[in-house]
Amino acid sequence: MNLLEMEKTPKIGFELGGVPIDFDLTVVITTTVTCLLVFLIVVLAARKLTMVPSGMQNLVEMVIDFTKGIVRSNLDLKTSSRFYGFAFTLFLFLLIANQLGLVFNLVTEHQQPIPFLGIEASNHAEVAGKEASKYAWWKSPTANLNVVFAMAIAITLMAHFIGIKRSPKNYLAHYFQPYPWMVILHLIDEVAKPVTHGMRLWANIFAGEVLIVIMLQASPLMTGLPLILWIGYSLFVGVVQAYVFTTLAFVYLSQKITTDH
Amino acid sequence: MSLDVLAGALMIAFAAIGGGIGNGLVISRFVEGVARQPEARSTLFVQAILGVALVEVVPIIAVAFGIMKVLGV
Repeated sequence: MNLLEMEKTPKIGFELGGVPIDFDLTVVITTTVTCLLVFLIVVLAARKLTMVPSGMQNLVEMVIDFTKGIVRSNLDLKTSSRFYGFAFTLFLFLLIANQLGLVFNLVTEHQQPIPFLGIEASNHAEVAGKEASKYAWWKSPTANLNVVFAMAIAITLMAHFIGIKRSPKNYLAHYFQPYPWMVILHLIDEVAKPVTHGMRLWANIFAGEVLIVIMLQASPLMTGLPLILWIGYSLFVGVVQAYVFTTLAFVYLSQKITTDH
Repeated sequence: MSLDVLAGALMIAFAAIGGGIGNGLVISRFVEGVARQPEARSTLFVQAILGVALVEVVPIIAVAFGIMKVLGV
């Protein structure tokens, strides 16, 4: 039994010295939309600033207070003031990005290849009844492994950079604490941190979206209440994962720059 | 049906068992804490959600790879 086939995503790319570099158009589109939405929300909230906030301004101020709390609970007061903007941007981006794929689903079928948009010819013409290749154009950017790993690795590099800049001696010394042989565990830890950091977000969002696709294709019984319940749960998971990703980013950062153990 | 589907199904099943036990432990301690000290509810809730999210990692990664295995992606 062929359970179901997943839609492909359009990819355009080129070769650079024998290394293929692909751009996933779906991710490019949805990331751009996410950035524009975040920008729009913040600009709309800041258009008419009042001392007693109401509406949009109130909401954004609540989010800012919330992310400030995350930073303050991990870093000391002097350091944390530099990271309020970063925390707010990261949280708002993830909040929008995680929910984006739940809004709607856009799938196109193609008989002819369109190289300009990265659409290939249907390559499973030999399979009966499957003449057209399907392409999904709308997915959460965070449901793509490359996006979350890029974010997680960037945050890890930033943590290491700030740690070295603060005090190279302390940075090197903490690898050999409390015992020198523990350097092996520390090195494994440093690799595992960005991997789990990215994978946690990706797996949650990816599993949520795949299950929605499965439910839509499985049977009419699954498209009613179970689908609504699952989408509701996915909304909740998206918010929680945005919070967890931001919190862990600052937990990892604080591990690198706190000197007192 | 190939063994891949069975492998994926087993991954998802064991992930569900492990995640269920872990989340149950976290939430039961959270409820105990709130019962003893109701005013600590808001702080404990944030910690509990964080704990649940941390426990969920391994199961949800197993589920994601299990789904990929079942679908043969």
